[in-house]
Amino acid sequence: MSVWNYVVTAHKPTNVTHSCVGNFTSPQELNLIIAKCTRVEIHLLTPEGLQPLLDVPLYGRIATLELFRPHGEAQDLLFIATERYKFCVLQWDPEASEVITRAMGDVSDRIGRPTDNGQIGIIDPDCRLIGLHLYDSLFKVIPFDNKGQLKEAFNLRLEELQVLDIKFLYGCPQPTIAVLYQDNKDARHVKTYEVALKEKDFIEGPWSQNNLDNGADLLIPVPPPLCGVLIIGEETIVYCSASSFKAISIRPSITRAYGRVDADGSRYLLSDFVGLLQLLVIMHEKDKVTGLKIELLGETSVASTISYLDNAVVYIGSSYGDSQLIKLNLQPDPKGSYVEVLERYVNLGPIVDFCVVDLDGQGQVVTCSGAYKDGSLRIVRNGIGINEQASVELQGIKGMWSLRGSSDDPYDTFLVVSFIGDTRILAMNLEDELEETEIDGFCSEVQTLFCHDAVYNQLVQVTSSSVRLVSSINRELRHEWHARSGYSINVATANATQVLLATGSGHLIYLEIGDGILTETKHAQLEYDVSCLDLSPIGENAKHSQLAAVGMWTDISVQIFSLPDLNLITKENLGGEIIPRSVLLCSLEGVSYLLCALGDGHLLSFLLNINTGELTDRKKVSLGTQPITLRTFSSKNTTYVFAASDRPTVIYSSNKKLLYSNVHLKEVIHMCPFNSAAFPDSLGIAKEGELSIGTIDDIQKLHIRSIPLGEQARRICHQEQTRTFGICSLKYNQSNTEETEMHFVRLLDDQTYEFISTYALDQYEYGCSIISCSFSDDHNVYYCIGTAYVMPEENEPTKGRILVFLVEDQKLQLITEKETKGSVYSLNSFNGKLLTAINQKIQLFKWTTRDDGTRELMPECGHHGHILALYVQTRGDFIVVGDLMKSISLLIYKNEEGAIEECARDYNANWMSAVEILDDDVYLGAENNFNLFTVRKNSEGATDEERSRLEVVGEYHLGEFINRFRQGSLVMQSPDSEMGQIPTVIFGTVNGVIGIIASLNHEQYVFFEKLQSNMRKVIKGVGGLSHEQWRSFYEKKTVDARNFLDGDLIESFLDLGRGRMEEISMSMSVPVEELMNRVEEMARLH
Amino acid sequence: MGSMLGDLPSYDPHNFSLLRPSDPSNPSKMTPITYHPTHDRTLPPPNQVITSEARNILLRHIYQRAEDKLRPKRAASENLTPEHGSKHPKAMGNSDGPQF
Repeated sequence: MSVWNYVVTAHKPTNVTHSCVGNFTSPQELNLIIAKCTRVEIHLLTPEGLQPLLDVPLYGRIATLELFRPHGEAQDLLFIATERYKFCVLQWDPEASEVITRAMGDVSDRIGRPTDNGQIGIIDPDCRLIGLHLYDSLFKVIPFDNKGQLKEAFNLRLEELQVLDIKFLYGCPQPTIAVLYQDNKDARHVKTYEVALKEKDFIEGPWSQNNLDNGADLLIPVPPPLCGVLIIGEETIVYCSASSFKAISIRPSITRAYGRVDADGSRYLLSDFVGLLQLLVIMHEKDKVTGLKIELLGETSVASTISYLDNAVVYIGSSYGDSQLIKLNLQPDPKGSYVEVLERYVNLGPIVDFCVVDLDGQGQVVTCSGAYKDGSLRIVRNGIGINEQASVELQGIKGMWSLRGSSDDPYDTFLVVSFIGDTRILAMNLEDELEETEIDGFCSEVQTLFCHDAVYNQLVQVTSSSVRLVSSINRELRHEWHARSGYSINVATANATQVLLATGSGHLIYLEIGDGILTETKHAQLEYDVSCLDLSPIGENAKHSQLAAVGMWTDISVQIFSLPDLNLITKENLGGEIIPRSVLLCSLEGVSYLLCALGDGHLLSFLLNINTGELTDRKKVSLGTQPITLRTFSSKNTTYVFAASDRPTVIYSSNKKLLYSNVHLKEVIHMCPFNSAAFPDSLGIAKEGELSIGTIDDIQKLHIRSIPLGEQARRICHQEQTRTFGICSLKYNQSNTEETEMHFVRLLDDQTYEFISTYALDQYEYGCSIISCSFSDDHNVYYCIGTAYVMPEENEPTKGRILVFLVEDQKLQLITEKETKGSVYSLNSFNGKLLTAINQKIQLFKWTTRDDGTRELMPECGHHGHILALYVQTRGDFIVVGDLMKSISLLIYKNEEGAIEECARDYNANWMSAVEILDDDVYLGAENNFNLFTVRKNSEGATDEERSRLEVVGEYHLGEFINRFRQGSLVMQSPDSEMGQIPTVIFGTVNGVIGIIASLNHEQYVFFEKLQSNMRKVIKGVGGLSHEQWRSFYEKKTVDARNFLDGDLIESFLDLGRGRMEEISMSMSVPVEELMNRVEEMARLH
Repeated sequence: MGSMLGDLPSYDPHNFSLLRPSDPSNPSKMTPITYHPTHDRTLPPPNQVITSEARNILLRHIYQRAEDKLRPKRAASENLTPEHGSKHPKAMGNSDGPQF
């Protein structure tokens, strides 16, 4: 790898942190707006459900999100504040369908201590001001003028230091806030203040309430007519206003989210940390509150946000599990739940750990996702799987087509398989088995070049000598057209009414299919021989095509002919020396394309004007290295293209853009759709020596499978030899009296993902690290687990264990254990020994045999000098340590001396969250301010001082908290492609992002950096936020990003219109096609 | 209990009327288009680029007090009742005194 890195998102954040409902896109439309850390999603409420409209990336981490409506506006505006103290007010322009910025600004202060309990951003219900609590003891006010315009912001001094929540009260003549705070004796109180805008000061408010529930953490302002505030504690809920006070005691729970149901604020949904959904009712007579009532409704994912949508449907946004759309039913189900889950939205966050499992050169990521009861494993892989239903051994398949028993039969009956010297016909028998049959009218002693269903209950077979028209009812030959002798047919194609074929010497012949008759309608003499052709109907008539596509030998071109007159209307030279091997006319999402596959695994795509035959927007991608055969198929009423080759690919369209997804099969010679009654929506797939029938996964780029665990997995590793996963997990048990945690080491089968063995850890003992490793002079492969005893009274663990397990008969057998003087944060297999990180120390253990033959871990040597050594990676004798707060240091193990010594360190104070070794000299780190950086070993330094310093060479703000780096790739690494040479690291984050860091060479880096700076000028930051500032390394200081590139921005080049692409092409002096190719190649890394 | 969930708000009775619960093992696959603005209205009008008042709270108070001190003098020289005149400095002392 190198110092030049390219960072790109393979899976976007899915952790939902905020949501709100309002009329954003139009006064009549109701929208759900969702924040997923750095992205805002806009949805529309429709009769069919939630319709996703737009995913808006934001150059900032969203701290607050609110919809509001200034006086005189017909639509709601969206207020967003980011964690880096920027804010913006966004508006939807329905005419242009654009998000425009009404206002923006910087609300940072030069001095001030950032709040511990997160940022608060609130808007006065009467739209007089926006209030922000960003720094302790300061309340920032952004006033509105009477036209709804924002004015200069100013600070007010807030006496309360430990603020837990602030909300605006409804119905106050002056803007009034309620402040929930904790005093220096840890008691909690609520105070109200009026904001005097003119005097720029707080005035004592109408009421206050002292000595609340010790767990009070949340204020809910109640709208008119009641206008008080609900104070949500862990054991009580209080309604408070100037004139009234009502309390209710509740089952102990920590409320995480609330959602208002009624506009008058009489009902609220509350969700706690175990996902129990409750309804809180304020009982009132007119504007006088008479009491509170709370009822359990049922269980959902652990909610971080709740939005009541419409007609009893509620959105549950979750950080710890999948988000949900639920319905509140009037009557409980048999289990007593009023909650019905309508829809589920995948969330991978928080990814606490993951491992990369290699399957045939393709990485598959298995994550530890979710928390509490929503903990799960997620299997994430790029590409599409085929679920094989049946297969037979068949050698030498040359072609394959499915045919129906009659023209109006919805299902396919026959599968025609062609070989070099004969043709066999398979059909489903009564037992739903595939068996060989015959179609009398077909010629089965020769190879079939093409087959198709035809109108009038007929079938067409093309062989090298003739075209046969056969009745599909009695299967007898009705008519035959013979090729002239000496001119055998080389290639042919057909649809329901037309046949096009080419014979030697460039003869192109067009036949039309009638009822029992084939009519040679047109003949054309071409300059060269034809290599491939197609006349798939893509116009309005599904049975007849106006155009034919023909690929040519010799001049390497593709030509479009009009039908039936066979006039050449377009000729496109393909360039190069590789012959087109397959052409296809297709229509995806209503866009017509011509696809042309070459003999070397490249694919060209063109936009096709079906009226003029004009070809535009030429694109070229590399799919494999072998000739490709193209075929369309449909699944769930959508058309896709299957490209059969050494690297089979499905081509599909999403948002009118062509996307390519790998199919998890090694080599496919031929594919044809086979939709039979027994195997609906299936594909027939010819591989080397085998014919199989299978269904295809949903077509999407990343495929995610969820394995719910009911507990939280914290560490995972795969053991290839035993085909198992080992995980460290914890399970929360909540009884009425107290809640307890149980920690386990569990063994899972790597195919079924079932628990096959469990080792329960001691009370207070946490699993902290797990690896699969082997030791010198021992052929066994072990699971090693590092633990910590987390005692409530200790700041840092002082005791832990290393457990060594062997998998025998699919069971975890404890071979040996070793007590440690602290938490075993990290384990690495190192020179046939075990390298551990235990609190401040790096400790090496060797694997020894006791006199009685039992095994033991014996300490060999160690290295002190860390605050907490949390993350360790090794390469050869080098050890890279990520410290709790002292960045990265480099150690070396000196074998002869039996010692570990420090070589160099980065003297910055980075609080690390993950480290990885990129190459011998360059190390990658992620830290808790969401930054990425690289450091380089300076072995050439002139002085000891220089050599002992790790030089910071790359800096970048990712905006995501990385928990783990792993070497590996999500895509098939084809060794011959250029991309196969780009090494990658995968990372997983708290928000559920899976990302890729790819190392570039210098030429690539310079090229893409130039493209990035051009993209910055073209793609504007939503809300006026700057990309350059966003990616700048941000800690106490801010440093411009360097030696990292933003792949997300660069790859959005592919979404630009042609005009914008040409602008960039001009400014970079690089042709558009080359730009597209290079960006597409990068996009294929994930 | 049923009554507590009765009369849930309905803004448009059509919303969700055709939605049927999906297979729980099959999460929603609908993904919105990613927005990449290329227009110039991502920047707000110049007067709506908001900054914070540069003057800090202490200075603001001092200036405010100074202005307030000036004002009653002018007012007193014109036509204020004695009641008003005596009340003002007292209130000032009470509210501002302990803050510095």
